[in-house]
Amino acid sequence: MDSVYYFILVPMVYVAFFIFIAGNILQIVKVIQRKRFAPPLKIYPEQKPSFLWAIYDAFLFPMVRRSNPILWFFLIGFHVCVFLLFLGHLELIGDFSVLQIIGHEIFIGRGFVGLGILIALLFFLFRRFASPVRQFSVPEDYLILMLLLLTAIFGSQMDWARTWYGYGELTVYEYRPYILSLISLSPDIGPVMDVGHSFMLVLHVFFANLLLMFFPFSKLVHSIFAVPLNMIRRGK
Amino acid sequence: MSDSIKEDKTIDLKGLPCPMPVVKVNKGIKQVDVGQVLKAIASDPGALTDFPAWAKTSGNEILKTDQEGDDIIFYIKRLK
Amino acid sequence: MDPKLHQEMLKAISDKLTGVMQMYLDTCSRCGICASACHVYASVPEFENTPVYRAESIRKIYKKYFKLQGKLLPMIGEAVDIDDNTADMLKKTAYSCTGCRRCMVYCPFGIDTQQIMSIAKLLLIKAESEPEILSMLADVSISKGDSLDSVKENFLKGLKKIEADVVEKWKLEAGKVAIPTEVENADILYVALAGAHSIVPAAAIFNAAGENWTLSFFEAVNFGAFVGDPSKTKLILDRIINEAIRLKVKEVCICECGTAYRVMAQLSGDKPFKVSSITQVHARYIREGRIKLKPLPADVSVTYHDPCQIARNGGVIDEPRYIIGQIAKDYREMSPDPKTNWCCGGGGGLVALGDETIDFRMKSSKVKADQVKKSRAKILITACENCHTQLDNLNEHYKLGVEVKFLSSMVADALIK
Repeated sequence: MDSVYYFILVPMVYVAFFIFIAGNILQIVKVIQRKRFAPPLKIYPEQKPSFLWAIYDAFLFPMVRRSNPILWFFLIGFHVCVFLLFLGHLELIGDFSVLQIIGHEIFIGRGFVGLGILIALLFFLFRRFASPVRQFSVPEDYLILMLLLLTAIFGSQMDWARTWYGYGELTVYEYRPYILSLISLSPDIGPVMDVGHSFMLVLHVFFANLLLMFFPFSKLVHSIFAVPLNMIRRGK
Repeated sequence: MSDSIKEDKTIDLKGLPCPMPVVKVNKGIKQVDVGQVLKAIASDPGALTDFPAWAKTSGNEILKTDQEGDDIIFYIKRLK
Repeated sequence: MDPKLHQEMLKAISDKLTGVMQMYLDTCSRCGICASACHVYASVPEFENTPVYRAESIRKIYKKYFKLQGKLLPMIGEAVDIDDNTADMLKKTAYSCTGCRRCMVYCPFGIDTQQIMSIAKLLLIKAESEPEILSMLADVSISKGDSLDSVKENFLKGLKKIEADVVEKWKLEAGKVAIPTEVENADILYVALAGAHSIVPAAAIFNAAGENWTLSFFEAVNFGAFVGDPSKTKLILDRIINEAIRLKVKEVCICECGTAYRVMAQLSGDKPFKVSSITQVHARYIREGRIKLKPLPADVSVTYHDPCQIARNGGVIDEPRYIIGQIAKDYREMSPDPKTNWCCGGGGGLVALGDETIDFRMKSSKVKADQVKKSRAKILITACENCHTQLDNLNEHYKLGVEVKFLSSMVADALIK
C-alpha cells in the first residue's frame, strides 16, 4: 500500500505537472504556428478600449447573465471558488503576506469554498441531464465533471474534518513540508503519512493528477483561449 | 434564326427579382427533353445578362431573345 | 469511401485550420448558451437546431484527425470518421445555419459558428453535395466576369429599359446620363444587384446628390460566399475589384446586400479604394446636405430590421437609424439592441435556394415574425436583398400585415428639390 501511496504522491504528481505544463505550451504553440486568419471577425458595435471589454467579457460573461442568469450565477460562483482554491493551495506552500491582507486562517474559506464548488459542480452535472444539453454532451463533459467532483470532494473532506470536526491530525503544517519537499525535488511523504486521514489526501492528489494530465487535451483549454478569443470578438 | 421557333414549354418569371429567374429557368430546363425548347418570360432587365451567362455555364443554347414591352422573352434549347 | 475524396476532404479541413479556428474547435465547453441564441432553436426547440450541435458535427471530425485526444481516446469526445454519411450529416448542419453570428454574441468565448460551418460547406463542395443552385449561380457570376464584352452589350440594353424610371424619380439636367457606366476616375463605383429595384432608386439618389458615379457591370452578391467556396468567392469578388482598379474609382459602394458588403468590406483584405455600404453613402449625403428628404406623415410607424452581415457583422448600425430619423417621426426599435437582433432566417444562401427552403425558413423564423409583430409598426424597412425577400415571405406566411421596404427606395421616394 505504501508504494501505491508513494507513486501517487510523488512520481505521478511530477508527471502530471509536466504533462500539464508541456501540453498547454504545446497547444499555444500549435495555435501560433498555424496559418493566421487575417480578416476581422469582430462583432459590432465596437466599444473602446476593446481590450478591457474583452477582459470583461472573458471573466464576467455578461451575455450569459442576460440569457441564463441562473447558470451565470453558478458559473461565476464556480470560477470564483476555483480562484479561491488556487489561493488556498498557494498558502499551503508558504506564507504570502499579500494574501493575508484580509487576515484568515489557512485554508481560506473555512471549508465553504469547497462546499460551494461541489454545489456548482452538481448543478452543472444535473444540467447536463436535461435536454437539449444532454443531446450534445459528450463523455468528456461528464468525465471532467466527475474528476472535478472527486478532486473537490476529497480535498474538501480534509478541510471539513479539520475545521468543522476539530480533526487536528492532518493540518496545513503537515501538507507544507510535503509540498515543499516536492518543489525542492527531494520528495518526502513522511509528514502526511501514518495519519488516519492520509488516504483522503492520496485520493485528492490522485484525481487532481488525472485532471491536470487531461487538461491540455480537453475543453479545459478554454481557460487559456477565453481571453484571446474574446479579444478577436471585440476586434482587438 | 427563323421567327418560327416552337416552344415545348413556357415558364412565366415576370415580377421575380434576380437571381430567381435564373434559379427557375435552371429548374424549368430540366422539365423539357434534350433538344426541346423552353420559352421563359422575364421582366427584370438583369435577366438580359444573367441568362446568357447561365446558358454558357449550364451548356444550353439561347436561340432567341425578344423584347415585348416590359417582357423579355427567351427561347432556350436544352442541349444536355 | 473513395480514399482520394477522403484525402481531399482532410486537406480541406487543414486548409481551413487557422489558429483562430483551432481555438474555436478546442474551446467550446458545450454549455449550451448558444442554443436559445439561435433563431432556429428558439423557433423550433430541437437539439439539432442548436449552434453547438452544428459545430460539433465538424468538431468531432476535427478531433479524429487533428487532435491527440481523438486519436488516443476517440470515444471521450465522440470523434467520428469521415465516411459516406458525412455529407448527409453536414448538409443538415451547414444549411440550417444562416451565418448570422447571433450565437457568437452570447457565447462566453465568442466562438464563431459561421466560421466553423465554413468548413462544413467546403467539405460538402468536395463531396459534390453542396446545393446545386448556389454553385450554378456562382458559376453564372464568374462566367460574366470572363466574357465582359458580351455582358456589356446586354447590360446596356437592360439599362435602357429602366432609364426612364430613374428620371421619373429625379429629373436630370439636360445632357446628363441617368445611369453612367465606365466613368474613369469616378468618385463612386456603385455595385448593384442584377435587378431594376437595386439600380433605379440608387441611381436617382446619386443623381440628386450630384455624385460623380458609375455603375458596375457586375452584380454585388457573392454566391461563392453563400456556397462556401473560397476560390469562387475570390473570382466573383475580383471582377469588381478589377473593374474598380481599371476605372481608378475612389470608393466602391455596395448595394443593399449583406453578404456582398461583408465580403467586400471585411473579408477580402486591403484594397486601393474605400468600401461603403449604400446606407452609409446615403447618410453622408443627408449630413452634407446634398440631398433633402420629405418626411412621411407623422402617423406612419416604421421599424428597421438590421441585416446581420451589415449591422452586427459589418458595423453599419447608426447610419440607417439616422436616415430613418429624417424620414419617419414614429420609429420603433425592433429589438433590445441591434447586436442581438434576430436573423431574418434567410441568410447563408437559404433565400437563394427559393422554394427548396421555404418551409424551413418559415418555421425557423417564428421568433423573427414575433419580433416584427411586437413592434406594431406599419412599415418594415431593411437594407438587404436576402432579408427583404425573407421578410416578405414571413409577412405573407405569418400575416404580419406590414409593408416590407428597402431603405434606399424609402430615401428615393422622399427626395425633394
